[in-house]
Amino acid sequence: MSSRLLALIPLAVAINVAIGRIVAELSLPVYLDAVGTILVSALAGLGAGVVTGLIGQVLTSFVSGYVWLAFAPIQILIALLAFVAARRGGFKNLGSSIAWGGLLGLLGGALSAVISYLAFKGVTAGGVTFVTTVLVGIGMELPWAITASSIVTDVLDKALAFALVGVALRSLPVRMISRYPLALRAVGR
Amino acid sequence: MSDVKFDGVSFRYPTGPADVLRDLSFAPRAGEITWLFGPLGAGCTTVLLIAAGLAPRHTGGSIGGSVSVLGHDPQATETALAGQIGFVTATPQLQLSGIAGTVWEEVAFTPANLGWPIERIRPAVDRALEELAVEHLSRRKPGTLSGGELQRVVIASMSVLTPKVWLLDEPATALDASGRALAYQLFRMQADHGATVLVASEDVEALALVADRLVVLRDGHPVLDGPPKTLLAGDAIWDEGPGSTAVAALAREAGRMVESSRFAAPYPITVEEGVARWR
Amino acid sequence: MTAPAFSRQGLARRAYPLTGLSVAIAVTFLAFLVPAPWGPVSLYVASIILVALAGVGRAIRQALVVCLPLWLFLFVLHGLLGGGPKIDLGLFALSADGANAALAQAGRFGAIITISLGFYRAFDPSRFLNAVAARGWPMHFSYLFVATLHALPAFVQRAATSIEAQRTRGLRFSGGVFGRTRAVVPLALPLILGALAEVDDRAHALEMRAVAKGGKRTPIDPPTDSWPDRAVRWTLWITVVALVVWRFVR
Repeated sequence: MSSRLLALIPLAVAINVAIGRIVAELSLPVYLDAVGTILVSALAGLGAGVVTGLIGQVLTSFVSGYVWLAFAPIQILIALLAFVAARRGGFKNLGSSIAWGGLLGLLGGALSAVISYLAFKGVTAGGVTFVTTVLVGIGMELPWAITASSIVTDVLDKALAFALVGVALRSLPVRMISRYPLALRAVGR
Repeated sequence: MSDVKFDGVSFRYPTGPADVLRDLSFAPRAGEITWLFGPLGAGCTTVLLIAAGLAPRHTGGSIGGSVSVLGHDPQATETALAGQIGFVTATPQLQLSGIAGTVWEEVAFTPANLGWPIERIRPAVDRALEELAVEHLSRRKPGTLSGGELQRVVIASMSVLTPKVWLLDEPATALDASGRALAYQLFRMQADHGATVLVASEDVEALALVADRLVVLRDGHPVLDGPPKTLLAGDAIWDEGPGSTAVAALAREAGRMVESSRFAAPYPITVEEGVARWR
Repeated sequence: MTAPAFSRQGLARRAYPLTGLSVAIAVTFLAFLVPAPWGPVSLYVASIILVALAGVGRAIRQALVVCLPLWLFLFVLHGLLGGGPKIDLGLFALSADGANAALAQAGRFGAIITISLGFYRAFDPSRFLNAVAARGWPMHFSYLFVATLHALPAFVQRAATSIEAQRTRGLRFSGGVFGRTRAVVPLALPLILGALAEVDDRAHALEMRAVAKGGKRTPIDPPTDSWPDRAVRWTLWITVVALVVWRFVR
């Protein structure tokens, strides 16, 4: 692994956590805890993105319980979608960032619903679980309730995260972005 | 014998409109402190990055001419030069290993990466901590230190390697007066023991006293090269841009106002010289 | 100089780091392997006792804080709202299947979170790195993990400073969801750009400090792997494998 990645990845995971805190402070109904992962995938490619996501997931699990490791496949999906989006210039404007983020939200929401149902019986973290509970309360079947609440939350979350990464990439000075050929492609330059 | 040699080197950053270095040939000598000085954008930092093998490999860009460091082409050797070069910049908090729990571990980080046996690491780390007068911090967390303390630790974590080549980019900016004196004293000692010390700095007052040789760069090309005391006392260094010490500036300005041999070049460059001249 | 910093502390901190890690991971597997619902519940009780004995009892309370909301949701979602035959408890009726599932999952959460936090409380990054180096494992993953742990506090601090700074500049933190969403950008962007601006200098320093160099890293005072440590690890893994065979193969 290059020393650039060794320097970049810890900072990216720290960005995941720090922005997660900001969002919590603003009491928004999203997590935004994958911004660093998406950023690294768009700057340095799939492998680096996956490592960032996994390190972040291991760290979260480390400080709050290894059960959350079950969500590791989501991290790989995030890195993959962000990488593909970058290759196709998906961060060139706000609209396409949101579209790619929304797509990831759909896929990721579905995948996390499966994980949540199998490993957690639908009970994971605050917001999503609350929505699930309300849906079951009004008579929806549990698997569908989990899927619906996961997807709605994830689409919002990932659309916003991609939008934010897009803004960040587009506002990088030329000198910095030119270090990352993939990022140049991501913003359509 | 030169451990660092630039021969007709040109360099351009990937996004730069023009070459940062143009036909640069020079060789800092072993046993000397060579001081690179020039206005912003003159290319001093780039020279260090190239010698360290970081440019263009890490920065991107294109290089021409030939460079040799410790007998290697720094571009060709991948990480071979790591551990043989003392590389220090102005931002100590960005030079840390990122994983050391204590100052002692921070200084031991590079030797451990190089696979030195532990019997060699221990005395070397203790010696380096002592040289920078930071033994008392050895069990502190690097993250809790002040900028000045941190810079001493960063220099110690290079000095532990007893490198034969030092590449220093504004190494004393984060230091207080005593730290600065200590750092330059250390670099002086390293040079006296045969190391090649190359400093890029605007710290005119300090380097005027400690450097053996001054190379002034302008637009990536050496325009003046000689003993610092001579160059700093002359007019040419003003014509080329970077200027000289405060005392020399004062004498030069006075000379413009008053026609007197007392204020003519060569100008005094330290307060002591000024006092001796004008008393 | 680098003597074990925790020599006067409990078993969890004195044990070989990989033993603690093995216990935590094995319990995670066991929680899903032992028969529900009383298996996971017993495992939770066992984890509490183990964590207390090993001198990291504070993890028990921390785990409770994480678990309580999860338990509450399990109770509502599966107990109260679960399908199938109901058990009438006077004030409310519980789904029989749902209550069983909830109890089992509550036990799993309890056991896994308690034991993980116990390991976290005893975790000493330097000891862990040196143990890993002494085993000759590749350094990069453990480097990234520990470097991230070290980088976190500074970043969370930066986020807090950024929030404070924007607040004094009059950025509004209340109001509609849309307004608050817009506020994310001026808070998050400087954090991201600041971090990226540091990457070059950090990468240069790591390069010069021989991080990317292959080969073996010298461990400094690696913790000793004693025979009880090894015995514990082997017993755990054999138990896990035996349970897997019993559950899925027989």
